[in-house]
Amino acid sequence: MSLSTALNIAQSALLATSRQTAVVSRNVADADNPNYSRRIAVVTSTAPGARSVDIQRATDDLLFRQNLSALSAYSGQNALYSGMDRLGLSVNGVDNASSPSTAIANLQKALQLYATSPSNQNIGSTVIDAAKQVVRSLNDGSKAIQDFRTQTDGEIGTAVNDLNSLLGQFQDANRAVISGTRSGTDVSDALDQRDALLKKISDYIPVSTFTRGDNDMVVNTADGTTLFETIPRSVTFTPSSGYAAGAAGNAVYIDNVPISAGSGGNTTASGKLAGMLQLRDGVAATMQSQLDETARGLITAFAETAPSMPNATGLFTWPGAPGVPPSGALINGLASTISVNAAMDPSAGGSPTVLRDGGANGAAYVANTSGGASYSTLLVAYGDKLDKPMSFDPAAGISVTSSVSDYAANSIGWFQGVRQQASTAADAKEALAQRTADALSNATGVNVDQEMSLMLDLEHTYQASARMMKTVDDMLAALLSAVG
Amino acid sequence: MTSVSSAALTNAMRYQQMRMQADLVKATKESSTGRVADVGLALGARTAQSVTFSRDLDRLNGIVDSNGLISARLSATQTSLGQLSAAAQSLLSSLTSASSGDGANSITQSSGNSTLQQLTSILNTSVNGEYLFAGTNTDVKPINDFSAAGSSAKAAFDASFVARFGFTPADPAAANITAAQMDSFITNDVQPQFFGAGWQANWSNATDQQIVSRIALNENTPTSTSANQDGIRKLAMAATIVSSLMSSNISKAAKDTLISRSTTMVGEALSGIGQVQSQTGIIQKRVSDATDRMKTQVDLFERHILDLEGVDPAEAATRVANLTQHIENSFALTARLQQLSLLKYLT
Repeated sequence: MSLSTALNIAQSALLATSRQTAVVSRNVADADNPNYSRRIAVVTSTAPGARSVDIQRATDDLLFRQNLSALSAYSGQNALYSGMDRLGLSVNGVDNASSPSTAIANLQKALQLYATSPSNQNIGSTVIDAAKQVVRSLNDGSKAIQDFRTQTDGEIGTAVNDLNSLLGQFQDANRAVISGTRSGTDVSDALDQRDALLKKISDYIPVSTFTRGDNDMVVNTADGTTLFETIPRSVTFTPSSGYAAGAAGNAVYIDNVPISAGSGGNTTASGKLAGMLQLRDGVAATMQSQLDETARGLITAFAETAPSMPNATGLFTWPGAPGVPPSGALINGLASTISVNAAMDPSAGGSPTVLRDGGANGAAYVANTSGGASYSTLLVAYGDKLDKPMSFDPAAGISVTSSVSDYAANSIGWFQGVRQQASTAADAKEALAQRTADALSNATGVNVDQEMSLMLDLEHTYQASARMMKTVDDMLAALLSAVG
Repeated sequence: MTSVSSAALTNAMRYQQMRMQADLVKATKESSTGRVADVGLALGARTAQSVTFSRDLDRLNGIVDSNGLISARLSATQTSLGQLSAAAQSLLSSLTSASSGDGANSITQSSGNSTLQQLTSILNTSVNGEYLFAGTNTDVKPINDFSAAGSSAKAAFDASFVARFGFTPADPAAANITAAQMDSFITNDVQPQFFGAGWQANWSNATDQQIVSRIALNENTPTSTSANQDGIRKLAMAATIVSSLMSSNISKAAKDTLISRSTTMVGEALSGIGQVQSQTGIIQKRVSDATDRMKTQVDLFERHILDLEGVDPAEAATRVANLTQHIENSFALTARLQQLSLLKYLT
């Protein structure tokens, strides 16, 4: 051992300390970056007195994966819930004010009043007005649903573009990791970037990953379709310019495999894409079917009957008039084409007395044969028919047999039932995403206080080493002066 | 080693604060309205119940309102029937005095005449633009005026007399009509004018069909009367005979027959009208019972809706207070946590 060895050791210590300080200062600088993983400077002693500093990156694979899957689940659930919020508001209005159910209730009231004073033309016109409200509610609701589907379709298109661009960026980040790993340089920054992209991707689609040699990462979707392997797989989707009731939407393909839509209020959809597909083809389409069935129920309830004549459309009519839609079978788009019979509409040259007396389809259907102005039997019968059970298509997802007014109310019940589940599940999944993000941050994030105390340590080491050099220097100086 | 990252530490309260603030908005709304903030989220699939209750509540209130109209019509009908009954009563008393030989023929005749006029005017009463006694044909006067010029009823009556006897009642030859002849005339010629095709042709525009109304969610009942009721026809017939024939040249014997037939008929008319009165009364009772029943239902439905959608205002207010307190605590804690840093001690 010699003084020069001591000097070398002190020098090496200074070097190691300054590199450690660099790591500490980098950690402190990125303390607030959620995608930053703490770097750990590991000092190893090699030859006696020589030290080298390795930079490691704090990771926790398990927590990271949990966080990714929680993010996907929340993202899918949130897409469903917020979409349903918008959909419910545009179809049913605030407090269901513009829902078909409310409009039918008003029609029943107007009908009751007209049945009490059948000779009063003004009250008759009120019934026709109420009927128009019902028609408007169905027409507007139907349009709102199809607009919503078109909008969601556009959002899916945007999301697919985003996903493709994220996968492109992922390719760059992955390449940087691989080449860095091969050349043995510090790839922590590239890894940070790759993980951050993975978080963004899992917002759209649930992912599972595995890492091969040279830190090369392969990304699959949760159900096993390859999303990225050396190069990104293409995610394809053709948006539609508009939707009609009953028309199925285009699927989203990853590597030519279609993504399946979620189902249920506490949705199985993971990732925004599956959630939006569920909205477009599940919830909104079912709601449309229910409006169509409500429209069919109304046309049927108000149909004109006559002995040995086929039933014919009455107050409510449709393009297939004078025939009445077949019982118990869904007709797609009926809610958008239902209208008030012109023969009864004063603004279209008709008269509400036709509703009172019957005969919109010819003299054979006239029920008020004596022509009395206070004939109320037919009006009362219509009121009864609105309350009479009829059969509905099970494809629309709710009660197969009920009265048309109950059907409209049940439709609201169905929607709110799904919405409630979606809301509760969204709360739970949000909490889980938040919790896993916290846990991940705790495991891999930076604690400034810890870094600062580390810094104090480093400062002391540095001071000690410097003092050591000074002392050796003094000793050498003393030696030299003694010699000199 | 458990570790906490600085980001997690500073963000610890943020998520909770966000949730509590969202809850505060809800609690404030609930506290001020007394109803849950979002019925759909609170009730889920049971929202259908609440919608159905509200709808039925509206309908019940609507029927209660329309029952008011029906009650007005029925009580106007009842009043008119009372007036008819009084008119019949006064005709009966003048007929009684005539039969005992007290009244002059002309007085009896004018009594018949005025009864006929009263009958016409009472039966043509309208309420809300609807003729009360028209059956369903409420936009046409139910009874044609017998005394009006060109009255087909009068023409038919006069023609039947001439056809039977070959001369008018004013003809001196009328004095030879026997009691039996008069009796036969009334039975075979006059009666068909009131109980046969003649009534609908000359007298009445009313229909036998009555207005049917819904008086409760599942209860329909006829709620009008018709001028075609037997009692009314009988009164009209008696009054017509008295007013047309009493001051004529007809023999005393024939007049006696006429008076006795009319008296019987008015008696029958009175009981017929009484029957209609009591029928109307029964319907009035049904309507008012239905209304009472529905009002009870309305109360019940309102309570159900409150059970479903209501929140305990005290609980909501407490929740607002608690949440405010929690949020304040959370703010205070956040501020303290921000102060907590080693940097402060490193100088």
